[in-house]
Amino acid sequence: MAAGVAAWLPFARAAAIGWMPVAGAPMPAPPRDKRKGQDGLLLLNVSGTRFQTWRTTLERYPDTLLGSSEKDFFFHEESREYFFDRDPDIFRHILNFYRTGKLHYPRQECISAYDEELAFFGIIPEIIGDCCYEEYKDRRRENAERLQDDEEMDGEGGGGGGGGDGPPVKLTAREYLWRAFENPHTSTLALVFYYVTGFFIAVSVMANVVETVPCGAPAGRADKEEVSCGDRYALAFFCLDTACVMIFTVEYLLRLAAAPSRYKFAKSVMSVIDVVAIMPYYIGLVMTDNDQVSGAFVTLRVFRVFRIFKFSRHSAGLRILGYTLKSCASELGFLLFSLTMAIIIFATVMFYAEKGSAASKFTSIPAAFWYTIVTMTTLGYGDMVPKTIVGKVFGSICSLSGVLVIALPVPVIVSNFSRIYHQSQRAEKRRAQRRSGSGENSARYMRSKQNGLPIDSLEEEAGQALVGKSASPPFESQHHHLLHCLEKTTNHEFVDEQTFQANCMEISVIKRSGSRTSSPSSSPSPPRGLGSCCSRRHRKKNGFGLPSANNQELSTIRIPERPVANSRSSLNAKLDETMPLKCDEAFGGPRMVSLAAPPPTSPEGDASSAAAPAYSRSNIVRVSAL
Amino acid sequence: MGALMVIFSLQPKQRRKPTDSVEDELELSAVRHRPEGLGQLEAQTRFSRKELQILYRGFKNECPSGIVNEETFKDIYAQFFPQGDASTYAHFLFNAFDTDHNGSVSFEDFVMGLSILLRGTIQEKLKWAFNLYDINKDGYITKEEMLDIMKAIYDMMGKCTYPVLKEETPRQHVEVFFQKMDKNKDGVVTIDEFIDCCQNDENIMRSMHLFENVL
Repeated sequence: MAAGVAAWLPFARAAAIGWMPVAGAPMPAPPRDKRKGQDGLLLLNVSGTRFQTWRTTLERYPDTLLGSSEKDFFFHEESREYFFDRDPDIFRHILNFYRTGKLHYPRQECISAYDEELAFFGIIPEIIGDCCYEEYKDRRRENAERLQDDEEMDGEGGGGGGGGDGPPVKLTAREYLWRAFENPHTSTLALVFYYVTGFFIAVSVMANVVETVPCGAPAGRADKEEVSCGDRYALAFFCLDTACVMIFTVEYLLRLAAAPSRYKFAKSVMSVIDVVAIMPYYIGLVMTDNDQVSGAFVTLRVFRVFRIFKFSRHSAGLRILGYTLKSCASELGFLLFSLTMAIIIFATVMFYAEKGSAASKFTSIPAAFWYTIVTMTTLGYGDMVPKTIVGKVFGSICSLSGVLVIALPVPVIVSNFSRIYHQSQRAEKRRAQRRSGSGENSARYMRSKQNGLPIDSLEEEAGQALVGKSASPPFESQHHHLLHCLEKTTNHEFVDEQTFQANCMEISVIKRSGSRTSSPSSSPSPPRGLGSCCSRRHRKKNGFGLPSANNQELSTIRIPERPVANSRSSLNAKLDETMPLKCDEAFGGPRMVSLAAPPPTSPEGDASSAAAPAYSRSNIVRVSAL
Repeated sequence: MGALMVIFSLQPKQRRKPTDSVEDELELSAVRHRPEGLGQLEAQTRFSRKELQILYRGFKNECPSGIVNEETFKDIYAQFFPQGDASTYAHFLFNAFDTDHNGSVSFEDFVMGLSILLRGTIQEKLKWAFNLYDINKDGYITKEEMLDIMKAIYDMMGKCTYPVLKEETPRQHVEVFFQKMDKNKDGVVTIDEFIDCCQNDENIMRSMHLFENVL
């Protein structure tokens, strides 16, 4: 309610007359109101839409474009109005901020357009009211994710498609190789290699499959026993396997050599799959035809099927599926957990229900697990069926509940998959677009966008500096004058938390040393120029303290520049302050005084404490973060 | 501006609020108070039309219902003195502004009070201050009343002050005040003693003129 504070300030100042008879000391002079009678209507023309408001409405927030003299840059002499070539729909919300003190976020606006307008007019988005803050944050996060994805895609595709644009980068052979591996579209050789490996993966997998097909009895064997093709044409299959493994090994070693970070590459999933795919062959080579280990060796051959996972480098869909499963890990975990619970419950029930019946297949609870799983997933093989009535009842309950339990987490997984899939499709399309020739434009545009950002921030800084140097907002100076009057009335001064703590400590120290025990009196005592070294140091230390970053809106910091020997209270190991204070300095503008709004953070406070030393005329410069 | 004048003059009626504060809350949200016409206010106060317009715009913006109740008053005042507790002083101030004692400050009360404070003669200002200090409005300021007021003022300073606020500081301040003001030492300060004393004190006289250019 900063607008409210400004509106009530005249009242608060007038009410200060109530302190006057009580005050013992003379009051400080009020700040000169430099702009009397300048309240008038301002015409703001935003791309043709005219807005009008009072000048004082805009001046409530002097650290924004409209509230400061920065708007004079946009003043159009001929039509005597301020012209802004910006979006009028969003401007409406910005102007409402000045009027009501609350910034709202319109749902139908694009988040980046809105952010740009806010940045242009110098309004920080953190002051968006509670009503719209959630929505704003959500949209912002969504946008950031999308941008991040785009950047990643850019990083991958930019290397491929943007080669024509920027200065030609000389790649080492290693980098060239790595790029060829990651983006097969970069050169013909890479493409050829890509397809060859794909082909061999397929061949290897097919060979593994065909190996096990029964091929008919070999000629010359008397017992007419069917053997698998793998045994019949063992040599052929062995040669095929060798060839495939050769190719895979070479590919793996090349990738390992070309990887920018070998350790990271070795840790990645794809490389693990590669290793697992070729290991069985080498282990088989190393091991002799020993009977004990041959069983284990046969098991190892199973791992050859992992070669099929190598296809994921070739298929985006497979990658997306894997990524979806990874991102839905919690839902899958929940599914598993609830299924396990249900299985155990039902298996127990079925076991005890079928215990009575003769020749029951439900010999133990773990045996009943199989029945429960088959029933819950609605498979119903029929190899185990309950025979008792009770068993049948519980069996039907089991199958009904199975449907429910499984159906619940599935939509979450589906929606995740769909979102990721669409995203990747969009990226693919854009990559295709870029490759087809609009790459130049988009890259240049990207670069200009990046260049634009520093300029924007520079503008803001310049704007802040501008405000810093201009005259203080009258509202601020008047408020400080009011506080100063209160100080004079009570003969006490505001200090910030740190100084206060330090004072308390010093007081206790002094009391203990027994040097001074007189209580503070409200009448001025004779000056004591006792500056003990520790107090001076203490003073200096607290001189440039930052405003306290808690929710207290007002924290005053004292920066003593020229101590005057006019101490007030005798409990004064400190240096004396009390001199005509002039509260006419500028700093980072008014903050949201409302206690509910999120407080602005200290970057503005830093700017203010930096600006303060510039005003060396005042002996104590009060820097307040109002 | 013409439209404003028309609006102001078209609404001559005022609505009085019952003194029950609970009902006040309910009625506040339902009923809107409209002030007297601009011409009447201009006659009753020492503000010009333009000043009244500015004042009303600010007032109406903050209190669309047209009246301020004590809670809002305390909130507003607390925003000016965030370091301390301004609620007690705001309470006394509210009572001083609420001249008809109906539990709420309407725009007329507000503007009348401001007119005295900003444009009034010294006598009027001092009388207003006396009225503020005299909590039970019996015409005498006792030490207890003054102590209450003093404590309220010191409360606004808050805890973090230099030098550190002691318990007896308000009391001492009251003693000083009474020493100065209470001429016949009867333990109370009457309005004449008060006005006399203040008029003889240069500091007070000077500071009374302080806020004349506020609006």
